Amino acid sequence: MIMRPGQQLLLPANPFFIWGSLIAAMLVNMVQNMGLWGRAAWTPDVLAVVLVFWTVHQPLRISIGGAFVFGLLMDVHQGGLLGQHAMAYTVLSFFAITVHRRLLWFTVPSQAVQVFPLFAVAHAVELAVRMFNSGTFPGWWMLLAPVAEAVLWPVATLVLLAPQLRAPNPDANRPL
Amino acid sequence: MPLGTLDRDPPPFFRQGPSALSKLAVFSALAFFLMVADVRFKVMQPLRVVLATVLYPAQWLAMRPVLLYQHSSQYFSSLATSQAAQQEVLLKHSLQSQRANQVEQLSLENVRLRKLLGLRERLQAPAMAAQVLYDAADPYSRKVIIDKGMADKVGLGSPVLDESGVLGQVTRVYPLVSEVTLITDRDHAIPVLNTRTGARGVAFGDVSLHVDAMELRFMAANADVAEGDLLTTSGVDGVYPPGLPVARIEKVERRVDAVFARIYCVPLAMVAGAGHVVVLEPTTTQIPARPIPDVVTVVPRRGASK
Repeated sequence: MIMRPGQQLLLPANPFFIWGSLIAAMLVNMVQNMGLWGRAAWTPDVLAVVLVFWTVHQPLRISIGGAFVFGLLMDVHQGGLLGQHAMAYTVLSFFAITVHRRLLWFTVPSQAVQVFPLFAVAHAVELAVRMFNSGTFPGWWMLLAPVAEAVLWPVATLVLLAPQLRAPNPDANRPL
Repeated sequence: MPLGTLDRDPPPFFRQGPSALSKLAVFSALAFFLMVADVRFKVMQPLRVVLATVLYPAQWLAMRPVLLYQHSSQYFSSLATSQAAQQEVLLKHSLQSQRANQVEQLSLENVRLRKLLGLRERLQAPAMAAQVLYDAADPYSRKVIIDKGMADKVGLGSPVLDESGVLGQVTRVYPLVSEVTLITDRDHAIPVLNTRTGARGVAFGDVSLHVDAMELRFMAANADVAEGDLLTTSGVDGVYPPGLPVARIEKVERRVDAVFARIYCVPLAMVAGAGHVVVLEPTTTQIPARPIPDVVTVVPRRGASK
């Protein structure tokens, strides 16, 4: 394994934390819908951000199959066409797999710029599928959604990588 | 440094699994199959019900902070707001009471006249109160979720009303919740009757104006339709009981080159902010079955097919 210059050695990722964070992201999506913004089209898909994050960082644990299952659950929750999120997340996860070796060599802000096309493609897949099936165009505000997701990338990196950044042997000077 | 602290397992040489591209192909094909089965063949409802049951605890959990916020904001709403609301209700009540007092007498008179004419009794629809939980998140359609489902025997296709008019129709029933398609959804059509002229028509959902509106289609360009006409359900579909207010006509565009007039309507129900609704049983169960059409036997004439 080639180490990047200045790369910090990380603790192993806890599988429970990975799956728990995915479920928590789904809950955040639900709260956005139920309580905050209803059916607004510009809301960032937090689950997509977390899925891409884990696909890039732990491609052996979270891959296209997991993305597909979470996509199906989002479809059932939203009550739209069954399979539209499953397809969008499958495509998203595939592109995340293709960029995962290159992406982590960049700084976090430029990573955010590079994952933006991924989210845009996922939303475009969803839009194409629904327009083909006589859906209502949700308005131009939906262009904000991939931007918001790319903006959330540094936040996701900060939060989801925190457990792996702890000291391997905590003592009195390094409690965490 | 203790062992097992590094996340640096060597990647497996032989157990690589299927490639990402083949996985993409398989799962995209599966998603495509699901979409076709859902839209074309309508066979995915059992899978939806199973997944919705799995998802229900998560939805319940996500609903808690939302409900907590709503309840607390209601709790701290000022006295003045509630007094104003009460005044409004009293005013509405006094306006309605005059008409309501006449109902007894009018309905008696109606029953007698109908008997006199030998007409069928008006269909009675049993009603059930329900609460709108949240808007369905799908931005490509107009649907809401209500808190009654299979457990409360909500029937597929039941009409849903709020206090001022028809709100929509139940299109999917899950064990504990149901999905209501609003009358402003693009795929929703409702047979209506113009109360001023008695002309029947069909109103469709229309969101092309960037607001939740409806459109009365297939009315001739010279039809007698005016702004401000009230549209009610006509009852010819066997789903909606007749006489429920649906919409009011907002604008009529007549063009010389078009056969039909473009008629925009505003729904009377609060499609954007309904809270409490009434779910009626569809009247389809009460109307008699269709008569069996006479079998027309076509005897080919000799020498006709030359």
